[in-house]
Amino acid sequence: MVLTIVFGLTLSLLADFDSSLGGLQLTEQVAWVDWLGLSYHLGLDGISLPLVLLNQLLTAIAILSSPDKLERPRLYYSLILILNLSVTGAFLSLDLLLFFIFYELELVPLYLLIAIWGGPRRNYAATKFLLYTATSGIFILAAFLGLVWLTGASSFDYSVLPAGALPIGTQLLILTGLLIGFAIKIPIFPFHTWLPDAHVEASTSVSVLLAGVLLKLGTYGLLRFCVGMLPEAWSVAAPVLVVFAVISVLYGAFTAISQQDMKKMVAYSSIAHMGYILLAAAAGTHLSLLAAIAQSVSHGLISAMLFLLVGVVGKKTGTRDIDQLRGLLNPERGLPIIGSLMIVGVMASAGIPGLVGFVSEFLVFRGSFPVFPVATLLCLVGTGLTAVYFLLMVNRVFFGRLSDIVTNLPPVQWRDRVPALVLTLLLVVFGLQPNWLVRWSDADAARLVPPVALAQLSSADPFISELASSQGTASRP
Amino acid sequence: MMSRLSTVHCSLSTPYFMVSTPLAPSQHPLAEYIHRLEQGQALLNDTPENVLEVVGILKSYGVVLDAYSNNLIYIAQEQFLVLFPFFKYFNGEVTLSKLLRFWWHDRINYEYAEYCMRGMLWHGGNGVDSYVNSDEFSQAAERAIQAKLRGNPLLSLLHRLFPDFLPEQVRMFCYYSALGQFWRVMSDMFLALSDRYDAQEIHSIRDVVKHILDGLVAAANQPITYSVEIQGQSYDIMPESLGLTFLMDTAVPYVEAIFFRGAPFPGTVSYNAQAFQIPDEQGDFAYGALYADPLPIGGAGIPPTQLMQDMRHFLPEYLHEVYRRGTRGEDDIRVQICATFQKSMFCVTTAAIQGLAPHPLTTQDPQQRSENRAYLEHWMNRFESSRIREANA
Repeated sequence: MVLTIVFGLTLSLLADFDSSLGGLQLTEQVAWVDWLGLSYHLGLDGISLPLVLLNQLLTAIAILSSPDKLERPRLYYSLILILNLSVTGAFLSLDLLLFFIFYELELVPLYLLIAIWGGPRRNYAATKFLLYTATSGIFILAAFLGLVWLTGASSFDYSVLPAGALPIGTQLLILTGLLIGFAIKIPIFPFHTWLPDAHVEASTSVSVLLAGVLLKLGTYGLLRFCVGMLPEAWSVAAPVLVVFAVISVLYGAFTAISQQDMKKMVAYSSIAHMGYILLAAAAGTHLSLLAAIAQSVSHGLISAMLFLLVGVVGKKTGTRDIDQLRGLLNPERGLPIIGSLMIVGVMASAGIPGLVGFVSEFLVFRGSFPVFPVATLLCLVGTGLTAVYFLLMVNRVFFGRLSDIVTNLPPVQWRDRVPALVLTLLLVVFGLQPNWLVRWSDADAARLVPPVALAQLSSADPFISELASSQGTASRP
Repeated sequence: MMSRLSTVHCSLSTPYFMVSTPLAPSQHPLAEYIHRLEQGQALLNDTPENVLEVVGILKSYGVVLDAYSNNLIYIAQEQFLVLFPFFKYFNGEVTLSKLLRFWWHDRINYEYAEYCMRGMLWHGGNGVDSYVNSDEFSQAAERAIQAKLRGNPLLSLLHRLFPDFLPEQVRMFCYYSALGQFWRVMSDMFLALSDRYDAQEIHSIRDVVKHILDGLVAAANQPITYSVEIQGQSYDIMPESLGLTFLMDTAVPYVEAIFFRGAPFPGTVSYNAQAFQIPDEQGDFAYGALYADPLPIGGAGIPPTQLMQDMRHFLPEYLHEVYRRGTRGEDDIRVQICATFQKSMFCVTTAAIQGLAPHPLTTQDPQQRSENRAYLEHWMNRFESSRIREANA
């Protein structure tokens, strides 16, 4: 009920938000700890709006898909709502320290959700998650403190920090801290090892939030604080970042192919798909930055749906082992609707036209190719590999004769289907009408373009050149 | 008759124990079922639940067979050599509401009846098959074809260009009619079984088998004929003088073609004939109802699905009750119907085995018992890959 109201109110933001303006809107600032330079400064722009909406939607879906019989349900739902609050706060924060507080706050409920309601190795997974994310927080905090200290600013306010005035070497140092911090969160190879463990041990609804929203804190941080505050350093670091992007994409895809656990496969797929966002962000063109935001939302929807469906399969069959499951599309005794939705989900993940995955991935590749053609082509291989591992999974798990170990599955309730159906609807709607997805972010993506990248591209690609002439003069907040 | 296996457990006071020569227990992998049959039991376990399921499913099967039978006979008589029989499933009553219901698929799937008819045509066997390949049939068919060609230039041209086409169609109509007549008897027999069950006259699987066997015996010599009326004149295509009868010329080939052989159909299993996944000889086919895996039921393109779909409309409430007790309730009702249907077909097959046995299966004569044993083991060879174990699980 609470979340329905919150979701409704969040949707009402769309009415108040003017996407043509760009820049921060609906801001709210209250002095908090003056001597520390901390203020309660919130605002919304085209980068944060889609992610805030995604967060509300996926939290609602996570609650809907939570088990009927839970131990300590009050604690469980309270933690989910606290998680929702902290993630929303992080997306809306326009104060670096406030962002850090929300960023760290999110860690506590998520740790508890994994540690209390997780699988058999939940303590190991939760502790690993805690250690990695806490380390991530340390790097981010250090970078923020360094930024304020080195610029001599009196506050952590995002909109007044003169980060661009620092020497390029100093900027790179701060950027490195932020990159490590956010790379752990995204996660980017080689900081990814916490993610598969966390997903495997987390319950379905927590996996939905983890893949759908939590990882987006990392990509949001990249766009907001790295590209947004340190554009010159970002342009310098970009060629190195794409290497990590390519490694993440290919490593995630190849590792996914070898998985037997459906959930692990989707988790490694997440690592691969988050690599696209890094590629797009590194390219730093208007289109690629728009793509980075679109891919964040797209991956949020797709991975949430896949984790939901894997969760239903696991709940009904008692296993997620690809080698044991077979023929679940059986119309009478299998999970035909779940299987059909899974096919839509993997198609979206593999970037099949007509679905949102195609829109975001096409934007990523189209926007990144002029800047990093080789890296983009290598990432395109990752898209092909997505089709390989997901087709392997679908073929083994859903086609053929129903496996003898699962011929007496319990019935699937509509409650198990509705969350995935809602996400399927969005995958199709945004796939057919991509403008509804990207229109909110277009102006802000243009404002985010690092000037160096734009200058390089103007002469290289007529399409980007045209974009640059129309958008490139926009100023950063 | 008592087999040696059963005499071990039998009371010593049983008089014939002292005089009968014990027959060694069969070493056949399905010896259990051979011994059951030798004791006058059925292939299916005799339990109250099985009785209820079998009678219930045969009741709905009887209703469906009634519809199939009427339609097959209608097609044989009224759609004879109609090149584009768009409304062949309408039994002559074409109305908008019926058409809408047809398009909505809220109807009997007569396609399944045709699937069975084609199965019988293809596998052949016994009198009808011999007859439709004889000169006598060719002449009778040609007379009917010539009558049909009058005033029909398109059909005449077709017959001139492809002289084998229309006779082959007539062969098919013979099977339409023969199967329709066979199912007419079976439908009445199954509905009568249900009535007797409701009247508490049927208590066991043995009673069910006896009812079916009595019905088969009573109709055994019923003639199978086929004549068609063209422009007010009747043309005998399968005259009564041929001596084709219900049991040997429809029931036996039906059991062979539909229960045992069947046809590899497009389903979840993909057969590759070139990789020898399909036997060379039709006689070795084992794709019939007794072998069908119920799990793929419900999938598109799997013929038994249509039969299960049809039967689900006519299930008695007591059978619904049984299905509702399953893990998935009635969500997998068509699979459950198929499993029950296979149970009932093992009862029908028991009746057929009993009816065709060289001697009464419970005979005490050693020679007869020995011959029966050979007969039963031959049958059981064909059951080895069937669903008999699952039906009795």
